[in-house]
Amino acid sequence: MELRRYIFRRIIQIIIIFFVILTVLFLLFRLAPGDPVSRMIDPDMTPEDAELLISQLGLDQPLWTQYVYYVKNFFTGNFGNSFHYGQPVVRIIGDRLPNTILLFTSSIILSALVGIFLGKIASWHKGKKTDTWMTIGALVTHTVFLPWLALIMIWVFAYKLDWFPITGMISEEVWLDPDVGLLAKFLDVLHHMVLPLGTLFLIHFGSYLLIMRSSMLETLKEDYIITARAKGLEEKVIRDHHAAPNAALPVVTSVGLSLAFSINGGALTETVFTWPGIGRELVFSVSHNDYPLAQASFLLIAFVVLVSNLVVDVLYAYLDPRIRY
Amino acid sequence: MALLEVENLSIGYRTRKGYLQAVEGVSFCLEEGKSLGFVGESGCGKTTIGMALMGLLPPNGQVTKGRILFEDKDLLQLSDSNMRSIRWQKIAMIFQAAMNALNPVHRVDDQVAEAIQAHNPDLGKTNAMKQVEGLFQLVGIPEDRMRDYPHQYSGGMKQRAIIAMALACRPKLIIADEPTTALDVIVQDQILKETRNLQREFNLSMIFISHDISIVADVCHDIGIMYAGQLVEYGSREEVFRSPCHPYTRALISSYPTLTGKKSQLTPIPGETPNLINPPAGCRFCDRCPGARTSCKTEPPAWEEVGPCHSALCHERKL
Repeated sequence: MELRRYIFRRIIQIIIIFFVILTVLFLLFRLAPGDPVSRMIDPDMTPEDAELLISQLGLDQPLWTQYVYYVKNFFTGNFGNSFHYGQPVVRIIGDRLPNTILLFTSSIILSALVGIFLGKIASWHKGKKTDTWMTIGALVTHTVFLPWLALIMIWVFAYKLDWFPITGMISEEVWLDPDVGLLAKFLDVLHHMVLPLGTLFLIHFGSYLLIMRSSMLETLKEDYIITARAKGLEEKVIRDHHAAPNAALPVVTSVGLSLAFSINGGALTETVFTWPGIGRELVFSVSHNDYPLAQASFLLIAFVVLVSNLVVDVLYAYLDPRIRY
Repeated sequence: MALLEVENLSIGYRTRKGYLQAVEGVSFCLEEGKSLGFVGESGCGKTTIGMALMGLLPPNGQVTKGRILFEDKDLLQLSDSNMRSIRWQKIAMIFQAAMNALNPVHRVDDQVAEAIQAHNPDLGKTNAMKQVEGLFQLVGIPEDRMRDYPHQYSGGMKQRAIIAMALACRPKLIIADEPTTALDVIVQDQILKETRNLQREFNLSMIFISHDISIVADVCHDIGIMYAGQLVEYGSREEVFRSPCHPYTRALISSYPTLTGKKSQLTPIPGETPNLINPPAGCRFCDRCPGARTSCKTEPPAWEEVGPCHSALCHERKL
């Protein structure tokens, strides 16, 4: 009951914040240097034609009228057509978003689970060899420059060893073949995913390991750990049942933030692996003045950040009863 | 035969600044159904003794000398798993509630049931829960609050829950480390009364650790006064209060107010406790002792019988 009220309150907050972002974004695009129409106007157009185009786009209207249209369009899901692709923005994003979500959600969940697990082990063997090697390994993989690692991965595993495909997300010959079943298609995507997923995993699991390790070390000093020990519980129970749930809380925050920024933060990875996702599209749209696409992408990022925050808050409330009540 | 016999126990900590002798040459014994109180300032080693009895010294702590005989077995010689089965089943501990002794992410009744199930693995969850219900009734926590989380409890309720937890496996000995320190005097009084009743009801032996001599005087049969890692006076409550022998005991008693006795000026104890990394060669209290002589500084004092079941570690009587 309490949890439901808490979630309701947070959703109201999110709606308000989103409206603020919507407005700021509107102003930002109007203030930005460069003329959105100049890209669409070709040199053969007469000035009258250009005027017509501008009025068709509503850009001759006063700012507040434009704003009303903007909000109305937002609520009807009309984000206009991409200048570059000539297709509705919604469709482009709808195509790319699942690919990004698939790659980044799975990489973050995988690295968080592995990081939490290894961090727990490392803290348990604090100061011993296991701990030292795990910490060094985490630091090294975490600080490696991502594009470099991605290229090395491609060079070694895709080019030299030829275990995995070099680019893309699917093999056309598999997907165009009508006799191929769903499982084969799934395996094909998985095969393409291994390298980008592995790269993201290597980059990210270290930070979770380090957070979990230090958080565990703090938690192990708590009085309730002494209580648990005094109760005569097995060391494994103390570690997994009493220390780890408390220690994992900061990791959850970190996971939430990564989820939030995975949408745009993945631009580099998506570019190197030519993964058809949102991050690549965002970079493209900004560098090519594709305003409708860029605007929608930014809104999407804002939305994802807000929703991931909500998810983290709810997860936190679920994990820590002190927040729930 | 005494339930617990501690002989010449010495405990030290390795610290950054050097080796710290936290407890030195402490001996005492405790009969079944009796209670013993340790009083002293913070850092005098009383909690360290409690932790050593549970086998829960921190990694840098170590028993260097002595024996802890519990039911004729030396606890210091036991293997980890044997010691684990003694914890809570034979010797339980009441922690200070303000110290976060309860895990914030688990429900209170689950935490108590966990202790029962750890030592009775064949007992089902429902049976364990039934026992928990009985325990909470015993300490006066209403049934509808059992499934709460620790942060929903008041300090007094937390303390009750911790007492219920300590009783969970029907231990022989309970070590209560500052059990009422964080509570206001009214709740403190209730908790102490209940503790005393429970002790009688279950024929428990108890070790009370407190900095507050009035609490120990209230609940314990025997009293041990500790100063700078040493036991300095040991005897029955009546003896120690009627004729305190060690100057430190006298100073402690006169530094606490009484409600019923005659009004008198409270006397603070001047000075500070000595550094235990390089303890003084002679008597450890001599710098703060009003009756100190020059020989006190150089010669370590020896135990003196000053009455039936009453002894003190002081030069005073000798000369």
